Amino acid sequence: MIAHDKTELENITLLEEAKSLNEAGFINKKQFEVISKQLIVPKSHNNLLIRAAFFLLGVFLYSSICGFFSLISVDLIDDNFKVLIFLYALVGFIGAEFLTKQKFYGHGLDDAFILGAQLTLAIAIGVYTDGNGLLIAVTIMVTSLLSYLRYVHLSMALLFCLAATASLVYTMFELGDIGKNILPFVLMLFSVAVYFYSKTVLKNLKTAFYHKGILLANSFSLILFYLSGNYLVVRELSVALLGAQINPNSDISFAYFFYAFTFIVPVGFLVYSLLKKDRIMLWIGALAMAFSIYSVRYYYAVLPIETFLTIAGLLLFAFTFFAIKKLKHNKTGITFRPDRFTNANAFMNAEALIASQLGLKPETIQESDMEFGGGGFSGGGSGGEF
Amino acid sequence: MKRFEENSTNRLFEKSLIDREQMDQISEYRALNVFSVHTELKLFLYLSVLLFTSGIGILIYENIDSIGHIAILSLLLIVTIICYYFSFKNAVGFKKQQTSFENPLFDYLILAAILLSCIFIGYLQFQYTAFGTHYGLATLIPTVIALFCAYYFDNKSILSIAITGLAAYIGLSVSPQALLDNNFQQSDSLSYSAIALGIVLIVWSIYSTKIELKKHFNLVFLTFALHLINISCINNLFEPYWGVFIILLAVSSYYFYTVSYSIKSVSLFVFTILYAYFGLNFLLFKIIDLIDIQDLMILFSFLVPFYFIASIILFIRLIKKFNKNKTDDCTR
Repeated sequence: MIAHDKTELENITLLEEAKSLNEAGFINKKQFEVISKQLIVPKSHNNLLIRAAFFLLGVFLYSSICGFFSLISVDLIDDNFKVLIFLYALVGFIGAEFLTKQKFYGHGLDDAFILGAQLTLAIAIGVYTDGNGLLIAVTIMVTSLLSYLRYVHLSMALLFCLAATASLVYTMFELGDIGKNILPFVLMLFSVAVYFYSKTVLKNLKTAFYHKGILLANSFSLILFYLSGNYLVVRELSVALLGAQINPNSDISFAYFFYAFTFIVPVGFLVYSLLKKDRIMLWIGALAMAFSIYSVRYYYAVLPIETFLTIAGLLLFAFTFFAIKKLKHNKTGITFRPDRFTNANAFMNAEALIASQLGLKPETIQESDMEFGGGGFSGGGSGGEF
Repeated sequence: MKRFEENSTNRLFEKSLIDREQMDQISEYRALNVFSVHTELKLFLYLSVLLFTSGIGILIYENIDSIGHIAILSLLLIVTIICYYFSFKNAVGFKKQQTSFENPLFDYLILAAILLSCIFIGYLQFQYTAFGTHYGLATLIPTVIALFCAYYFDNKSILSIAITGLAAYIGLSVSPQALLDNNFQQSDSLSYSAIALGIVLIVWSIYSTKIELKKHFNLVFLTFALHLINISCINNLFEPYWGVFIILLAVSSYYFYTVSYSIKSVSLFVFTILYAYFGLNFLLFKIIDLIDIQDLMILFSFLVPFYFIASIILFIRLIKKFNKNKTDDCTR
């Protein structure tokens, strides 16, 4: 099923391992160079920036090829222009296959064709069926799964997860009001099923090729589980889908369940991830916690935003301060010492970028109230994560 | 997750790419089962500083007439001084090379101090017009403090705040958000001063390389210079005298192309290429526009896919050449 050369795919994982060993200081640079010369890998880019640039070029190329076809066929089919969109999707699939044969893997160009093919196919089906959501979602679910199995691109695994969820949601819509009412619970059950299924698959997996994709499905199920029971999401969706009117003194049905869910699940994630040393779940837990706080603040803004931010900053600082103090000297288990295997370089660069966002703004010279030079105020924008 | 990494290490060993001793060291370290929350806790520190300073900023802005000014000012001053006090107490002192605090906590404390001083000086100016009508001073003083602290404490975040301060002094807003919103001031004189500032930053980076002063800061200086100069040039391409700026764009592209080779920075390299590609396309468009023959238009549209294929091949070549120059593929 896999379109790539399997040894070359394995070489990619080996090279990644060698790279992290090099960064951790277990092997020296010379040895790493020797290793990277010996392992033959497909054409790919680890650097996201280069990959994004090539993705952009790939999009240009793809759309110009499509434009080329439209130009030559414009006289032949004046009424059946809809067929052209299927042709575009076909161009995408052929391009993807061609690039894969040329040993492009995660290069940027191939990403553009594989993603573009799915997107145009979705549009084509949408045009033919007047936007039948269920049909689009099911088709994309099938094609993205096949593409993932064939090209082993993580983006396809993500698309598959999204399309599968969308298919389920549309099926529930077909059931009418009952379906819409029990939607949160169905999604919860679905994500629990995905979580445990992917976990067992991960345990029994023999080869490393599909490892990352299944891990992604696993993390996706965690996020879906949290969101399907989050109070804000449930309430806003029940207003949007069921047209429910929520009066100031009333609340959605099972409100207390959803309140409890909103806070118990992130805490559960955090505790479980620290016990099991699962970094991805830790991040999801932290983000979910932040979103929970936002959800409650959305309806019950007890404190004005500025006091809230100041106090939250202070509390977070105090918490981190004590955590660092406690974990500073641990040699095993949870520790503040940098792990030899994790590389925080990208994070440090992102920090400088965000700081420049906070930086000083030019003064407006006009006679107005706003002749304020200090830049701290512009920081309000970055508080938006909460 | 771990299982597959161990597998890969074993495979590397089987292919005799690493030796027995290294293999043992690696499995010994993995057996420690280290779960480092270093990055996470540092991120929390950073977030707490951002939250706190934005909170304080909004608090002061909203209550500018209601609470006692002196009370606010003295409170702000006290907090700021506390932050400075602890940072200076724990600093390793000025060195020409890269330095860092023993505890990364202080990196964020000094960042908080800088942001609070910006708020403090802004407040002074707003409420008491402490600097009179010399509005520039109110920007310049925080900038000078930030520059000093960036060099003294070796902090890149503060350095980039200082550079935005410099840009603000000449009237530019160079935050990434402003660039994304295309908010970059359009007036001619401003874009000239932006180019001038970019050149000053380049000269400074050359000079500091020469005297070996904090060489790792060069990437920050050059990144700002690249975007300042090239975006100003591109803005000016749509003016009647675009010819001058396309030459300037070509010169700067050439310069940054060589620089990105010498400091081995992928981000500089990619952005330089992108700006240069934009300039090239602009020039081609102008030429086609100049020829202006209707019949040729259809031919051109047939040639477009081939043009893209040619440029993709060119890019692949360029990047291959660049990657040969450096061995590791790290993001910087």
